[in-house]
Amino acid sequence: LQLPRRKISEYRSKLIINRALGLNYSGWEVSYGKVPDVPKDGRFVLKVDQAIKQRFKRGLIYLDLAVAELPAKVKDLTSEGFNYLLIEPYYPHDAEAERYISLRRAREGIVLSYSRSGGVEIEAAAASIKSGLVDTLDMNKVSAETGLAPDQLKILIEEFDSQYMSLLEINPYVIEVNNLKILDAAIEVDSAAGHLVDGWSEDDFRSPAATLTEEEIAVRKLNNESPASFSLEIINPDGEIFLLLSGGGASVVIADEIFTMGHGKSLANYGEYSGNPSTDETKLYTEQVMKLLLKSKAEKKVVLIGGAVANFTDIKNTFDGIISVLRKYSADLRKQGVKFYVRRGGPRQKEGLEAITRVLKELDILGNVYDPSTTIPAAVASLVKGLK
Amino acid sequence: MISIADIRKSMPRILVHGLHPGIIQSILDYDHLLSREKPSIVAIVARGRKKERFFWGGNEVELPLYASIDAVPEAVRKSITGVVNVQSARNVKNSVTEAIEKMPNLKIAEIFAEGTPEVHSLELIKIAISKNVLVVGPSSVGVLVPGVLKLGAIGGTMYDQLLDARIKDGGDVAVITTSGGMVNELIRVVTGRGRKVSFAIAMGGDRFPILDPEAAILLAENDPQTKEIVYFGELGGTDEYRIAELITSKKVKKRVIVYIAGVVAELFDTPPQFGHAKALAENHDESATAKKKMLAKTGVVVADRFDDIASSLKKGKLDEVALADAAVNSRRKAYFMSHLSGEANGTIQLLGDDLLKTVQGNSLASLTLSMLLGQKVTSPKLIEFTDFVLKLLVDHSPNVSGAVNTMITARAGKDLVSSLTAGLLTIGPRFGGAINDAAGVWLDGIVNELTPKQLIDIRTKATGIVPGIGHKKYSLDNPDPRVKALATLGEKEGKYLLFARGVEAITTTKKSNLILNVDGVIAAVMMDLLVSELEYTPEKLRELVDIEFFNSLFVISRTIGFTAHYLDQRRNDEGLFRLDDSDLEYFK
Repeated sequence: LQLPRRKISEYRSKLIINRALGLNYSGWEVSYGKVPDVPKDGRFVLKVDQAIKQRFKRGLIYLDLAVAELPAKVKDLTSEGFNYLLIEPYYPHDAEAERYISLRRAREGIVLSYSRSGGVEIEAAAASIKSGLVDTLDMNKVSAETGLAPDQLKILIEEFDSQYMSLLEINPYVIEVNNLKILDAAIEVDSAAGHLVDGWSEDDFRSPAATLTEEEIAVRKLNNESPASFSLEIINPDGEIFLLLSGGGASVVIADEIFTMGHGKSLANYGEYSGNPSTDETKLYTEQVMKLLLKSKAEKKVVLIGGAVANFTDIKNTFDGIISVLRKYSADLRKQGVKFYVRRGGPRQKEGLEAITRVLKELDILGNVYDPSTTIPAAVASLVKGLK
Repeated sequence: MISIADIRKSMPRILVHGLHPGIIQSILDYDHLLSREKPSIVAIVARGRKKERFFWGGNEVELPLYASIDAVPEAVRKSITGVVNVQSARNVKNSVTEAIEKMPNLKIAEIFAEGTPEVHSLELIKIAISKNVLVVGPSSVGVLVPGVLKLGAIGGTMYDQLLDARIKDGGDVAVITTSGGMVNELIRVVTGRGRKVSFAIAMGGDRFPILDPEAAILLAENDPQTKEIVYFGELGGTDEYRIAELITSKKVKKRVIVYIAGVVAELFDTPPQFGHAKALAENHDESATAKKKMLAKTGVVVADRFDDIASSLKKGKLDEVALADAAVNSRRKAYFMSHLSGEANGTIQLLGDDLLKTVQGNSLASLTLSMLLGQKVTSPKLIEFTDFVLKLLVDHSPNVSGAVNTMITARAGKDLVSSLTAGLLTIGPRFGGAINDAAGVWLDGIVNELTPKQLIDIRTKATGIVPGIGHKKYSLDNPDPRVKALATLGEKEGKYLLFARGVEAITTTKKSNLILNVDGVIAAVMMDLLVSELEYTPEKLRELVDIEFFNSLFVISRTIGFTAHYLDQRRNDEGLFRLDDSDLEYFK
């Protein structure tokens, strides 16, 4: 499962906004450390372009650089794991002139917010922000207060809709001698509408995660290629508790129970599969979790193969996939003394649970298998006990 | 707004948009579990076949498939009260909008797909409200009203799961959840306390569920059978703030037990994506803890741990779970199905009755037509007409190509079946296969409300010919006596014959031998009689055209003729036939 709302790069965001407003935009994308050709005599801003908040505070923006300084700084940031950077001409301006405007999609309509006091301290200036639904706002008044022409406001709203955005934030912009200058912009789009737009594509999606592990990449690939859903996030590579969960809701309930019992820090991963994946797909997914598990340096390791009572995911088929991975790694699992806890219900639960019980016994792997007559919290309690 | 009480009032009539056999079977299993006489699903919209077979208890039942909503017969379409939409996310907006617009009695719809664009959901919210339809989803596994409605996979997709869930009849605890995967677990929590659910709704975990938590809670508040409400929500979004307002403003007075998943996100500075689409707290007030704290202030019961949901529910007592009968457990789909004959009660049956009884009570013509139509026909008019057609088509001199092929094969020393087959294989677009084509054309004219002139123009553009029109020998001045005889057995004011005559009236002005021929009149009269005597709809007539029913009359009758010519040739015993050199012109 992928979050449908995705942030796109600042570079792409600015291209979309400036183009819509008929403004010129110059900026250069830097991907994987490759420094582009920029005018030799200019002064530049270099920033990390990966949907990270508070870049100033975190030292991820360099101001007023000469061309000669760029390669070293690009190298620095890239070596920290930031693969996407942005270079723009440096634009000195009065911080007092910075303004804020945003559009956000809500159930009731599009919410427009704006403030005279934009910039990095916008959260502190929350009281200065005015908000309203675009259908009900007096646009002439908004125009007067934002310094943007009614036409420009109209274009922004139309672009917001036609590019299926869920958030558009320009913070800050300045207006100098009637010229609009967009200094920073962020756009969040509805990735489910990728087939309906021309302004962005999934190549523009950015996430703060510096690098993904091969296991996470494998699961993302699996998710993209399958009608079923898969997700995997590494929380602590040397964690003790490994989750092999099914269902978006149940997986959170299980993680919550572990967290509430005081073992959140022991969680190695979070993730889930759902939507009745095939035996082979479940096998591929399980393989990634088992690889993480075997790499962990934790002394005690437990695995929770868990989920609620499924509607249509076939328990026998999915468990067959899990079982084939258990067989493959059985020697290592025995050696590391990994304990398995299974709790699941749904179509063909009897066959699935019987099969995994049999295999754990046959392979001499430690484990407890529960059907839905054992509640989720009771199964989690049993797992936590296994850590001791 | 549609209430749960409205839904309880009558047996649902469900249309499934898309073919999802697992979900469809589970709804049928639920109907069967409720001892219903007929499935609640009355139509499936999907391309492919005309019907699909499903289990009905231990036996099988057929459900009709239609290629589009427009192809569903009007009476059925207007009777639909529930829709299960299993279309792809890209097609959700259009297909749900179409369903709402074209089904005037629609009360409730479920959208199954994940990944519907938010803007499409927002547009559907407006349509659902203006047309007063309860639309649940996207990303929903459905709605369950025990004893009445199972709309979607909710409750499970296996017969024993449905039994195990104790959802045969209703209780007094409403289950409302953003998570489809948790709905059965929550039903189990309720039954684990000896209680049963009054209804259950999986709203789906999207950012903008069409039926939102606020509206769902109000459904439960306004449902007279519901006493307590279990609500499962997740981090992300602010829907729960509106639930709090309902409670503070006393719009909801029933006991609400709330569980909000996602406190684990607080472990992280930048939390990973937990659970569903909505489940990412963008602001502090969207976090699980913030929502729980806020709800606790309103006086609802906030279940901190999952087990607290159960312990917050008052205890009840349930009966033992019933077991599925053996027939259900051992059911298996048959390879073929037949509506004509088979073994039953130890005897061979034909058309629903003992073979001998059926045969003795019927003439050959009535038996033939009954078999061909797959239903018992007792109409004297239809039987008389069929009898005449079968007799009339028996032979048309040995000069025609099919008979020639039979005779040549017979003279080559081949056996009966080979010679007959050689003749039958000749039947096609140019020989003997025009009755069906004519039926198709007359049907096009009537269904599309064309005038004979318009039809002729269309045919002229397409192929230049109108099947059922034209004869080598007969003309206006020298009419075909067979056509007259056939027409007198039909309906005087039959619309198909009138239409065919209308076409003839125009074509004969161009050329006097472009008259209605035997093929054309048989097709028209048969359709008129099927309409007047058996109430055939245009859809059913179309099916007869598609399966080549009209040509079967020719094939059966002419089989007699070919067989006779074979026997005749064998009696003559003239030896191998060969064309004389003068019979074949060789072009060098």
